[in-house]
Amino acid sequence: MAGGERPRRGSRASMTARLLLKALLVHNGRIGVALASLAVGAAVVSALCGLYLDISIKMSEELRAYGANFILSPVPQEDAGDDAGDGAQGLPLGRLTAALQEIPAERLVGASPFLHGLARLDLGNAVIVGVDFAGLRALSPYWQVEGTWVGVSFDTRNAMVGRHLADTMELGVGDTVTIQDRALARRAEVTIRGIVDTGGREDDQLFVGLEVAGAVLGLEDRADFIMASVVAEGAEADALAAAVSAADPAVTGRPIRRISANDGEILDRIDGLMAVVAATILVITTLCVNATLTAMVAKRAPEIGLQKALGADDRAIVRQFLSETTILCVVGVTAGLILGYGLAQILGQAVFGSWVAFRPVVVPVTLGVSLAAALIAAVLPVRGAVRVAPARVLRGE
Amino acid sequence: MDAQMDAQMDAESADAPLPRDADTLSPGGGAAAAPAADVIRLAGLTRRFGAVTALDAVDMEVAAGEFVAIMGPSGSGKTTLLNILSLLDTPSAGSYVLDGIDTSRVTENERVVIRRRKIGLVFQQFHLIPYLNAVENIMLAQHYHSVSDRDEAMEALAGVGLADRASHLPSQLSGGEQQRVCIARALINDPALIMADEPTGNLDEANESLVMDLLQALNARGRTIVLVTHNPDLGARADRIFRLRHGRGDA
Repeated sequence: MAGGERPRRGSRASMTARLLLKALLVHNGRIGVALASLAVGAAVVSALCGLYLDISIKMSEELRAYGANFILSPVPQEDAGDDAGDGAQGLPLGRLTAALQEIPAERLVGASPFLHGLARLDLGNAVIVGVDFAGLRALSPYWQVEGTWVGVSFDTRNAMVGRHLADTMELGVGDTVTIQDRALARRAEVTIRGIVDTGGREDDQLFVGLEVAGAVLGLEDRADFIMASVVAEGAEADALAAAVSAADPAVTGRPIRRISANDGEILDRIDGLMAVVAATILVITTLCVNATLTAMVAKRAPEIGLQKALGADDRAIVRQFLSETTILCVVGVTAGLILGYGLAQILGQAVFGSWVAFRPVVVPVTLGVSLAAALIAAVLPVRGAVRVAPARVLRGE
Repeated sequence: MDAQMDAQMDAESADAPLPRDADTLSPGGGAAAAPAADVIRLAGLTRRFGAVTALDAVDMEVAAGEFVAIMGPSGSGKTTLLNILSLLDTPSAGSYVLDGIDTSRVTENERVVIRRRKIGLVFQQFHLIPYLNAVENIMLAQHYHSVSDRDEAMEALAGVGLADRASHLPSQLSGGEQQRVCIARALINDPALIMADEPTGNLDEANESLVMDLLQALNARGRTIVLVTHNPDLGARADRIFRLRHGRGDA
């Protein structure tokens, strides 16, 4: 038996690994909770990280589409000189659309001409607005619509009506309404396809195809202005405005600053919100891992006491528990990364309607953040393990 | 100093196999000739817990190769004395020289090193790690001493008659078998002193006898053994009985 004279053959690493793995396997029920919380934490962190990296451009496009941010309108008469048109309302549609060509197609989210006028409906007067329905939808994706959007750009038979006007005029989806000019000289009939709720002035307007509005108002092929949603900021937007203005002396293009500036703010707020969610999840993960490790240390106190009695120093105990925590963390984070990638896809599809690309940088970020959370969680339990008094626990006190 | 040397050796050990600890007298092997020196020497050892004096100026010597039983009623200070002898507790006053090392002059880390190199512990509750099998439990003591060596651990297991139980978990072993694994573990690092705390307290008569025979056989081969018991029959099997009463020694 003991007392052999030959040097021992073996490695410390193999016994360390055996001790770690067996300890983790035997306590699998207890560490399951920690593992699950680490996995969920890592999933949320990696999903938000992926979204943050991949979606911010798309998100900025989406936000820009929340309302027009560019307007092409006629130059005021007194500044326009001879080329100011014919003195009638708005400009010929052809000149406005020609000027719109100055905005590269890949920068243009959507655009619609607008022609406003007062008309007589069956039960009273109302503002009618001639639009390009497809363009209007691209400009106003956030509108709440009862019924359906009119799908064809210049639909001459269908219309959409604002909620308030619909209530006043007793209009419902599927109803037909007659529109006449105030002299009752021109008329058109349209069917209501959708009732819109915007909370703005649109709630009192009737939207019809531009052609219908032009015919009723006697303003064929004219528009007051074109509203557009453009992917460009600051100087870039100014350059586009200058290009539009230069294309036709009667047309002026300008970005609508208020919305563009808000984009950045909203993005910052969403980034902040994601950071808060990630931080909250990490705090919960930390508490969960802490609770598990604390319970594990309490349960293993006799084992820790024995190891100390056999000659394990504090460093060995600290090493063992931190190694166990690290292994837990790596396993949990691996599962969490896979989960998180799936979660990012679900969120990407649900919120932005696009897939999220895999970004390798998400892996070290998630691992680093999770490891930091787990190691912070381990500080107090490990300190507890180091303080285990072998004399006490070995006697079952 | 011995302990410092050991500590240094320990720090340098890293992953390389170490030669066995043979720096000081080694009671293992050879005949139990006249002891060359005391393994334990206590002088005026006192341990107070607040106002309570658990040990009161205890003097005691245990020579190398001796088998001493510490006996006394409950509350006499047996456990406190055992903790101090095992370096799991420190005295309030007095000195404890273990195998030539004055333990009152060493740091906490050095105490750990001395414990792993010079003391083998046998517990009443065995204290085997439940998820390690018999041979791995012995290898754990090797691991904290230097490096684990399965062949040597298997030899130790064979030495207590459990070679065929190597891969059994503690839960698959009887109480007597667990205690024999515990004894093999206590011996594996060739300690100067084996401390056995009520080693048969949880065993039936047959196993009690087996374990005592084993301890006596070890003593016959020159091992120094300190047995704590309240059982007079077991005490009678030691070379000498050291009695404790109200924290005072009475050799």
